[in-house]
Amino acid sequence: MAKPTVVVVGADKGGVGKTTVSRTLLDYFTAHHVPTRAFDTESPKGTLTRFHPDISEIVDATSVSDQMRIFDTLSTTDAGVTVIDVRAGLLSPTLRSLRDIGFLDAVKKGQLTFVVFHILGSSIASLNEIEETSSFAADGRYFLVKNFINNTSFFEWDQPTHASYFRKFKDAVEINIPKLNEMAFEQVELASVPFLNFVANKGQKGEAANYSFVLRGYVRHWLGNVWGEYDRIKLTEIIAGSGIATSGPRVQVVSRS
Amino acid sequence: MAQPAPLYIVASPRPRIGKTLIARLLMEFLRQSRRPLVGYDLNPREPTLAERFPKLVWPVNIADTRGQMELFDRLLADPASTQVIDLGYGPFDQFFAVMREISFVQEARRRGIEPIVLFVADPSAATVRSYAELRRRLPATFVPVHNESVALMFANEDFPPTRADCGLIRIPRLSPLVRGVIDRPNFSFNAYMAKQSGGPTEVHQWIGNIYTEFRDFELRLLMGRLTSSLGGAPAPAPRRKGRRVR
Repeated sequence: MAKPTVVVVGADKGGVGKTTVSRTLLDYFTAHHVPTRAFDTESPKGTLTRFHPDISEIVDATSVSDQMRIFDTLSTTDAGVTVIDVRAGLLSPTLRSLRDIGFLDAVKKGQLTFVVFHILGSSIASLNEIEETSSFAADGRYFLVKNFINNTSFFEWDQPTHASYFRKFKDAVEINIPKLNEMAFEQVELASVPFLNFVANKGQKGEAANYSFVLRGYVRHWLGNVWGEYDRIKLTEIIAGSGIATSGPRVQVVSRS
Repeated sequence: MAQPAPLYIVASPRPRIGKTLIARLLMEFLRQSRRPLVGYDLNPREPTLAERFPKLVWPVNIADTRGQMELFDRLLADPASTQVIDLGYGPFDQFFAVMREISFVQEARRRGIEPIVLFVADPSAATVRSYAELRRRLPATFVPVHNESVALMFANEDFPPTRADCGLIRIPRLSPLVRGVIDRPNFSFNAYMAKQSGGPTEVHQWIGNIYTEFRDFELRLLMGRLTSSLGGAPAPAPRRKGRRVR
């Protein structure tokens, strides 16, 4: 039987683009035909669910009953991959909870595959978070994501400082999310559809839409580069290593630069 | 079978090389055939082409995304018209960068539009590099244009056309004495050609030669399409003499 895979996307700071990264991951898994479900911990409002209502639901990560909804169903759900978009400030508490409920032990025993995407902000404080969060993912895969989508300049990331931090975490792999044209990003937000649907000129239910070709082109190019980063870290192999089949060829909607 | 509608992009990375004049000539030549025609002037500071053809040519500034949408979305929405772009040297890099990033050429072909870059050649190293780079990165049809008024000669091998059957387009030199005639604000090539009361002048011959070049080029394009649809290799365009400089 395939091992369930849990992908946690989070940061201890708000506004760094966690949900955007989660959306690109859901699109990536969709394109690879990987059955996926998602939990949006922006309770009670939810942002991820606006874009992926069919496969995501809103939960309160601090509530025991909702934790049960996520983790007690891992082995029974049809979805091989569970993506959890963790609300700002809750990454460390969530990881601590995972340790406390024995989830990390199961990862250590090889019963589960665990992947953490830690979205970094532009400050040194953000670098300080790495030390704590990376320790929880010692038996999983830990990725540090620099998100340039909202034009983050990472101005405080003095190179020597940055290098000295990263040297401490040899197993951490860096991922760069490039900037997306503002108007294109805004139009996808207004359309409230997955990036894939926008590129394919489709609405939420797969109906024909009438988005600008220019904006779709910008999104397609950007998504291609983001997926290029996921290909680089061999994300499909990590999933496949869990025994989850990535059936069929990837949906070809992207171009790489 | 419907023929793809050409989208002519008159371009050069250099200023004052005759792009707008070539675009003007092309617009008037195409107008003669009464095909649906629309033009875009991408010279935001000096939209000369748009001023010449206020009902046919739209000035567009592609510096921002809104302008890019105004141009590229409209181009794609009109596969029935022959379209002409006068690409100023200012937005030259950005135009081709956006075109490439949004995979415009592939989408245009899918919709029955054939992008053809009429690249005004000159022997400067920067222009040669720019042509080679664009040809490598963009899957459009590239056709070098030799404007003899601004570049006496260049090496043919520096500007190989994308398709052997396309060859190059030659714009002959017009003597400076009569150049002022065609620069008059309300001057129309077609109207001038229609009036030959005193016999053909140098300007008549010059316009006639250029129209012949355009006509030959369109015929070569058509023959190339027909030949390839029949499964043969298109015949190379006849070689022109006297352009080689090294």
